[in-house]
Amino acid sequence: MCFKNLPVEFDENGKPYLKEGVADPYSTSNRAAGAAMRELSDDQIRDLLARNGHIRNVDFDPVTRVAGALAFHAVADLDQRRVIAGNSMATLFRGYEVIMLGREPLDAIFITSRACGVCGGVHATCSALAMEMAFPVQPPPLGVVVRNMLLAMEFLYDHPLHLFLLAGPDYSQLIVEATNPEVWERAQRTPAANADLHGYGTIAALMEDMNPLTGKLYVEALHMTRVAREAYVLLGAKYPHPQTIVPGGISVTVTMTTMNELYNRLAQFFDYSKKTAAIWDDLTEFFYDANPAYKQVGARAKSMIDLGIWDDPDAYDATYKNCDAWGDRRWATPGAIIDGELRTTSLQAINLGFEEFVEHSYYENWAGTNFATDPAGGPLSPYHPWNKETIPKPTGQNWKEKYSWSTSPRWDRTVVEAGAYARLWNTAAAQKLPPSRFLQSTGHSLKISMPRAVLPELEMEWHIPDVWNAFERNRARAYCIAYTTAVALDNWMKAQELLKSGETKVSTRFEVPRKGQQIGVGFWGAGRGWLAHHVVMENGAVTNYQITTPSTINASPRDPWGNPGPYEEAVMNTPILETFDGPENYKGIDILRTIRSFDPCMPCTTHILANDRLITREVNTCACGVD
Amino acid sequence: MASATPAAETNTMPARRVLIAGVGYLNLRDLSIGPVLVDQLAALPWPPGVEVEDLSYGPVGVVHSLREASPRYDRLVVVAGVQRSYAPGTVSCYRWDGQLPGPGEIQARVEEALTGVIDLDNLLIVTKYFGALPDEVIVVEVEPEDTEWGEAFSERIAAMVGELVTLARAQALAEPGSGIVHGHAALGGLRFRNGQ
Repeated sequence: MCFKNLPVEFDENGKPYLKEGVADPYSTSNRAAGAAMRELSDDQIRDLLARNGHIRNVDFDPVTRVAGALAFHAVADLDQRRVIAGNSMATLFRGYEVIMLGREPLDAIFITSRACGVCGGVHATCSALAMEMAFPVQPPPLGVVVRNMLLAMEFLYDHPLHLFLLAGPDYSQLIVEATNPEVWERAQRTPAANADLHGYGTIAALMEDMNPLTGKLYVEALHMTRVAREAYVLLGAKYPHPQTIVPGGISVTVTMTTMNELYNRLAQFFDYSKKTAAIWDDLTEFFYDANPAYKQVGARAKSMIDLGIWDDPDAYDATYKNCDAWGDRRWATPGAIIDGELRTTSLQAINLGFEEFVEHSYYENWAGTNFATDPAGGPLSPYHPWNKETIPKPTGQNWKEKYSWSTSPRWDRTVVEAGAYARLWNTAAAQKLPPSRFLQSTGHSLKISMPRAVLPELEMEWHIPDVWNAFERNRARAYCIAYTTAVALDNWMKAQELLKSGETKVSTRFEVPRKGQQIGVGFWGAGRGWLAHHVVMENGAVTNYQITTPSTINASPRDPWGNPGPYEEAVMNTPILETFDGPENYKGIDILRTIRSFDPCMPCTTHILANDRLITREVNTCACGVD
Repeated sequence: MASATPAAETNTMPARRVLIAGVGYLNLRDLSIGPVLVDQLAALPWPPGVEVEDLSYGPVGVVHSLREASPRYDRLVVVAGVQRSYAPGTVSCYRWDGQLPGPGEIQARVEEALTGVIDLDNLLIVTKYFGALPDEVIVVEVEPEDTEWGEAFSERIAAMVGELVTLARAQALAEPGSGIVHGHAALGGLRFRNGQ
């Protein structure tokens, strides 16, 4: 069964329909409060804080080493070593949905690219995908292949950044020695199992090179981000905010020379991907051995969602009606996983099951339903992005009411998380990969053949984990470097074939419709996971534009049923394993490892509403996060 | 990178390389003075060896760019709108002393840079830490009046643009080691820091 909470069923042809006899099928009172976690009331917490010195408010505002404006409020019982309350707060309003209203559709590509200073290319591409569905226009094969390679190059920037510059320092000697000296002591006498791949004899040596600014792995990651950016710019001409992404393909000329120059950069990731996966394998197993309770750090249900990426040029036609067919042919399979079970790989079902709620967000609920069905006739929730209206309403912070600028996206009214690991997991489980020289999906793992460079060819294998926590998020992210490199290689070879056969066309001409109503969606992904742009156009202008990012999903506050969002849930499941003499020395490393394992990317830049609801204006950072 | 007279066209290597640059976000009115001025500066005639570039593409990217410049730049002149709580319209023109904060602060600036923050301070700190800056760094800062969303400068800053271009140009063309070039009294509240 695909949906267990939404009243949507499928006929014998697989067409979704609303279950009969449900009076108000999308009422939020139809689903019983599912909060699995016992939560304390504000009054109970205040009482505990007043009576017990060991119960502490722990505020991370801002959470550092994440992109943008994220704050986290936790209440920790330092005697019981557990977190008893947690609230994730997106502290800034993004507002691109408001900015886009009434604009020329083609402008969306360039405006929404600015939603993120780190991954603007994915927003530009996602917007172009939405437009090419709405217009419609189908890109030629080489246009699709080059788009795939551009995306891969963006990810090869993002993954090392996360692993060694943002999340990585939490596992460095400087942090581990300060927060868990007994773990550091153990690291010094623990040999590293994969020394032949990464060159570090002990875990301690590895941790030393993860130190920020001075560690070799830190500095090397900075260098690798440059290699990836160079590769992107060779193809895409400019970054950030490429100007070459258009509906119907790309607007650059691609030659064999370009491809060869790109290969020179891509090949540098052959050994780097082997080494990185080996490092995170060793780190993860070391922490598990040092204290099995680390398996609970950042733990939450194995429930995640992804839209898939990297289209098969022989399958992708940009239409919604065929999205299940071309979605299944992606190098990253779309999927919704609930409690470890792959419920569906259907893009239509993923789209139909996706809703956004604002009960605990600084927005007003919107009224009415513009679309009762999707373009293929499937039932659409009033809470779906195509029906959503962004109505900011800043109010005071109240944990039981509104406390975040993030909305609460849910799939089938279930808390899911997004991440690069979700695409790895879906692809491993689904066994639907297009023909690949380098990748094999086994149903329980993803095998990656990484070619020889200085290190010999290596058969790597990421296994769907038994436990799901902060360490596994990072380990999977490490394997994503190899996965991404392999996809880029497959596409590089496909591009060579196309060029050799004279199929050099990279774009298809199109007209922007100037009459009537059109609807489209970009099903895509950022380095951090899920990315969707939903657009509605009327008479040649944008009348609704909704962006949902991985951090919108992960940073979400509680939903209408009281279920905490993924950060909140994961933090409240996290044991406090840090070593400290007293509350004044408590640093909160376990909580920070948990939050950073999601690779948060929050909202920023400048935001204004030109009416009496002037909200905020900050010059800040990566805007990839939330509404 | 814009250059009215690129070195490559002269067939001779200029004696000195100077980069005159702006940094900041667009569409933040007075805070965008750096990148907006770049367009005006690029339209001016320049002697060989002087190049104009918008350095608002992220400090880590700028590190890569400056480090691979061959030959390396001898001087960087950078223009930016920066909020320092001076009176709006105050212009601070100074030679940056290159003093870096402690490792924690540097790491914080690198983190910001990697996650998309673009501003003068993290540009200087990150590029200096990674050894990318030339010996001479001249900063032209403007205290903004209007920092809301939009393209247009405030009237106060708009009235200063011509003088700011002249001031920045003078720093770029100054003789080596001559320090800050004075003589721009038309700029209200012009401050020359570091005792210059």
